[in-house]
Amino acid sequence: MSGDSLPLNLPLPRFATDSCEATDLYCELRKPLLRYLAGLGLSADEAQDVVQDAFLSLHKHLAAGGSQQNIRSWLFRVAHNRARNCQQSYAQRKGEPLDPVFDAVSHEATPEQFVLEKEKSLRMEAAVRSLATQERECLMLRAEGLRYREIGEVLEIPTSTVADTVDRAIKKLVEKCNV
Amino acid sequence: MCDFRGPLIAWMDGELAETEAAAVERHVQGCTECRDRVASYEEAGSRFATYYSQATQATPAANLSSQTMPRWLPWAAVAAAVVLIAMALLPRPAKQSPAVVPAVAVAPPPATEIDSNPARQVQPVARRHIAPRRKPRSTEWALAQPAIQIAIPADAVFPPGAVPEGISYIANLSLASDGSVQGVRLQP
Repeated sequence: MSGDSLPLNLPLPRFATDSCEATDLYCELRKPLLRYLAGLGLSADEAQDVVQDAFLSLHKHLAAGGSQQNIRSWLFRVAHNRARNCQQSYAQRKGEPLDPVFDAVSHEATPEQFVLEKEKSLRMEAAVRSLATQERECLMLRAEGLRYREIGEVLEIPTSTVADTVDRAIKKLVEKCNV
Repeated sequence: MCDFRGPLIAWMDGELAETEAAAVERHVQGCTECRDRVASYEEAGSRFATYYSQATQATPAANLSSQTMPRWLPWAAVAAAVVLIAMALLPRPAKQSPAVVPAVAVAPPPATEIDSNPARQVQPVARRHIAPRRKPRSTEWALAQPAIQIAIPADAVFPPGAVPEGISYIANLSLASDGSVQGVRLQP
């Protein structure tokens, strides 16, 4: 995996009443959720709304005695579904998911480095665009440090399908990017 | 050419059961070709992670500090301000000339007396609670009685999930003789 799982103290039996625990969870997961939603193509405002909505839903879920297991994948799933509702289809949006950002290349890079980085980024952009939606989502969630089981819970697909999808997606990237 | 079809990427990700992972590891250790494959998969995964990070960092949403004020908070503040302004603009009790007020009127009358006097009644919609009467320091303050308290629900002040149980904020309003607001004080 591209990163270790977030060190969350789960389950969270007192989330519904303990403000410190709620704040910690919000601080831990807010940015990963915003990144993922931005990766899906949501605008900044939409992503903010979806994240706040997801945490409100979590509060209600736990206050109503809902399951306290797998909170991270629960939040990602709610956010993912809200994002789906926000956008009829990713293809109809003005901004494509994972738009490339060449400005992110360091301004201290030499012109040669800049050209090389830009070329790599262009190849990756083409490779990412060639991926199916599910392949792209699996890779984004994997990059956020989610386990295959958690990715399966978010996308509501079996873990074995996640393994196959990640495998296929990585091999496509290798092929298209000449790694 | 190696024809090993084991799940190298799942093995890299630590997603295999112990026995299966051990079998893949044994093979990879002895196969240069599969080691190269693993290296290229890792490189592709790493490049994707960099690309994903750069693409999403450009989105203001992902760059916002965790200290950013929740978007609903200004609306809660506006709602609180509307309540306070509404209190100040409520129909005021009839103005009483100090000349016609008898000396005994300086002392606060009993609550039942206030309730029975329509001219001094405050609209029940806005008043949630009448503060206990305190000994007036002057005639003006005696006429400004009673103070009015407005309960503000804690969930209008705290983000969802961070609401301390059983806490509300109280706005103490003091009215002058002409019905205008003399002072506002917030307290938990």
